[in-house]
Amino acid sequence: MQTPLFLILFLIALTSLCDTINQLFLKSTIDSLNFQPTFNILKILKFIWRLVRIPRLWIGFIFSVISLCIWLFVLSKSDLNFAFSADSMHYIFIALASGLILKEHISRLRLVGTLVIVLGIILVSL
Amino acid sequence: MSKKKVTLKILALLIASDILETAIHFFFKKSVLAESSFQVTNVSSAALFIKTAFSSPYLWAGLFVVVCVFIVWSTILSKIDLSVAVPIASFSYILVPLVSIIFLHEQISLLRWAGIIFILFGVALVSLSSKERVA
Repeated sequence: MQTPLFLILFLIALTSLCDTINQLFLKSTIDSLNFQPTFNILKILKFIWRLVRIPRLWIGFIFSVISLCIWLFVLSKSDLNFAFSADSMHYIFIALASGLILKEHISRLRLVGTLVIVLGIILVSL
Repeated sequence: MSKKKVTLKILALLIASDILETAIHFFFKKSVLAESSFQVTNVSSAALFIKTAFSSPYLWAGLFVVVCVFIVWSTILSKIDLSVAVPIASFSYILVPLVSIIFLHEQISLLRWAGIIFILFGVALVSLSSKERVA
């Protein structure tokens, strides 16, 4: 039995969406901690320890696990090249969500850059 | 305003997270490679699929690297915008072909070279956009 293409595409869109939701939760949790990045391992581990005790982060993780399960299934059914090029829609989801939900400033330069990357990923995976 | 700029330190972390990310994909693909004939038609067979995948040591190696990536990625996000970090992380699409050329002596098609140049150009644009002042 061959898995239909539209089903694979739908599943890839679903993993991208779950991934985006996970990133949104992660970024907003990190922003609430106001941490200054260093190369000091001890400080980083302390920061991670504070981070993982925030319940909001775990909501994101649930989506990450769902995304992983769907992704494993997709990989077992479809060509890796195709899966990767379709997964590049993830970048568009991220740009939209960062602008709309996190209120990041998406300049024209950033938008064009993101679209050029998506195009490049599709070319690489052809 | 300089707070959100992409510095060399952040770029180094991004490349590190990309290399680890590539390792994750490699491990995960390895863990389901033996299951390509698997038929998932209902919930119980889906559960069996997940159970079989989790019995593979490759999957656990992959999950260990996931934890490492989480630590590196959190450090990156504490400094720069999500809409900058994610596009720049697309470096991994360049790393894999480069590794294939250098270590595996594979031939890279013209189309793929074009794709690599597009990605590099896009990454440069997104990085530059992090230096713009927010009006």
